[in-house]
Amino acid sequence: MAADSARPSGDGTSRAVAWVAPTVATLACLLVWEAAVRWFGVPIYLLPAPSGIVYKMFADYRIFYVQAIPTLSAILIGFGMAVAIGVPIATFMVYSPLFRHSVEALLITAQVLPKVALAPLFIVWFGFGLLPKVLMTFLIAFFPVVIDSVIGLASVRPESLMLVRSMGASRWKAFWKIRLPYALPSMFGGFKVAITFAVVGTLVAEFVGSDSGLGYVLVVARGDLDTLTVFAAIGWLVVIGFFFYYAVELLEKFVLRNRGRSRAHELGAGL
Amino acid sequence: MGSAAAPLIRVRSVSKTFRAGRALVPALEDLSIEVQPGEFVSLVGPSGCGKTSLMMIIGGLIEADRGEVTIHGEQVKGPFTNLGIAFQSPELLDWRTSLQNILLQIEMRDLPVREYRAGALRLLSEVGLEGFADKYPYELSGGMRQRVALCRALVHDPEILLLDEPFGALDALTRDQMNYDLQRIWLEKRKTAILVTHSIEEAVWMSDRVLVMTPRPAKVAADIAIDLPRPRDLEIKTSPTFNEYTGRIRRIFGDLGVFRMGEARRGG
Ligand SMILES: Nc1ncnc2c1ncn2[C@@H]1O[C@H](COP(=O)(O)OP(=O)(O)OP(=O)(O)O)[C@@H](O)[C@H]1O
Ligand SMILES: [Mg+2]
Repeated sequence: MAADSARPSGDGTSRAVAWVAPTVATLACLLVWEAAVRWFGVPIYLLPAPSGIVYKMFADYRIFYVQAIPTLSAILIGFGMAVAIGVPIATFMVYSPLFRHSVEALLITAQVLPKVALAPLFIVWFGFGLLPKVLMTFLIAFFPVVIDSVIGLASVRPESLMLVRSMGASRWKAFWKIRLPYALPSMFGGFKVAITFAVVGTLVAEFVGSDSGLGYVLVVARGDLDTLTVFAAIGWLVVIGFFFYYAVELLEKFVLRNRGRSRAHELGAGL
Repeated sequence: MGSAAAPLIRVRSVSKTFRAGRALVPALEDLSIEVQPGEFVSLVGPSGCGKTSLMMIIGGLIEADRGEVTIHGEQVKGPFTNLGIAFQSPELLDWRTSLQNILLQIEMRDLPVREYRAGALRLLSEVGLEGFADKYPYELSGGMRQRVALCRALVHDPEILLLDEPFGALDALTRDQMNYDLQRIWLEKRKTAILVTHSIEEAVWMSDRVLVMTPRPAKVAADIAIDLPRPRDLEIKTSPTFNEYTGRIRRIFGDLGVFRMGEARRGG
């Protein structure tokens, strides 16, 4: 165990440092916050102390648990759709310049469009259920998935493709065995951005109009000036965000487990 | 080599011009070569003259603007697959071990991987990489990667070998060793091989014939048959005949103005 934690991770720092440093930094921030609130006697409706927030998160866990389910569902389904639709679209974009030129402007328009402004319309169109949340989440998570997938799929070395063509490989095989594996690191980069966007997307939808979810809890609690519940809901959203992010990262580690460290990465780490 | 036999590979008046932004780069112009079955031919020429482009055109991987390539009398259109190719860079896949990289050749051809495993391992040991079968490319040195790439070009026992500077990243000693190993493999199987190299010594030592290329756009400046007995050992490099060949090729390059020696001459 000791030997394991001393082994350097990808960027040259030891694993112990990689764990201890962020933990200490986070704890330090929370401690300052806690001390400040107690020292200055800040009223709880303005800013509760972290200890109080954590206590509330667990004391009212039943409410949060029930309300987390629609939020989690919307995040997962929206993100899943972004991947399931985004990756094939990216693939078509890489293989067909015509398709690429056709959709590029549309994609960018969809991205720069302030989607928050669309949220009220979604309610008009789709009502209060899961659907408007999923759509909002999908819309926000879609862009990074497509962009990073295109970058990844286009990054394959032409020589590698020539090589497999000289082996008589079909396009299909060349895609599965060469192009896709080449693209995976970049694609996972996009997925990681997308999953954090997805959390925001669901929250936006719940804010604007919904009758369930952690966002809904937040809006109601704010109306009641129940700042402690607001922070407790935010606390759970942070937990959810971390959970999903690390779930994607774990999946990435698993899928890319054989890649090792590329030498370019080693050299670039210090720059 | 029986001159009566029909050439296996025939490149006829091939031209290729690349477009780099606005500029046109003529890489090959009206280039013709013939390679007999079982012949080992080397291409030597200044950097950037169009050797790699020629190899790609022979393999059907890029298209010539004019002219044609025939193999077995049939025009090459699209990738020719009875072929083992080693690119100038190793082109190993990061996520595959040495052995898996070699066996990619077999997988892509839908051949039974299990039957070729032993052959792949034997090739690895023949190029001095015994025990490296399960290493990933990032665990190998540059020269080791090139050797793995060479094994991948050989594993399916192709009729034709296209080797684009496969030993470029090797030190002189390993290079001699690799030349030796390749000669042994070649003598065993008598593949038709085209080798691109920057080393005049390597070209002469390896080949039945050396084609000396002009600067861009590439043409064949000289076609030199190497009449040295096989199997050749490294001693032969010190023989007068050998040095006559290398000297001749250097002189041809000199006449083509490939060497820029003005400064040194003036200084001396
Ligand atoms: N895809 C391409 N697009 C534009 N120009 C190219 C392309 N491929 C090759 N060229 C140009 O064609 C010329 C010949 O290139 P090529 O790679 O065939 O040279 P080479 O003889 O193999 O050189 P070296 O010995 O350095 O490998 C070069 O000037 C190069 O810049
Ligand atoms: Mg080249």
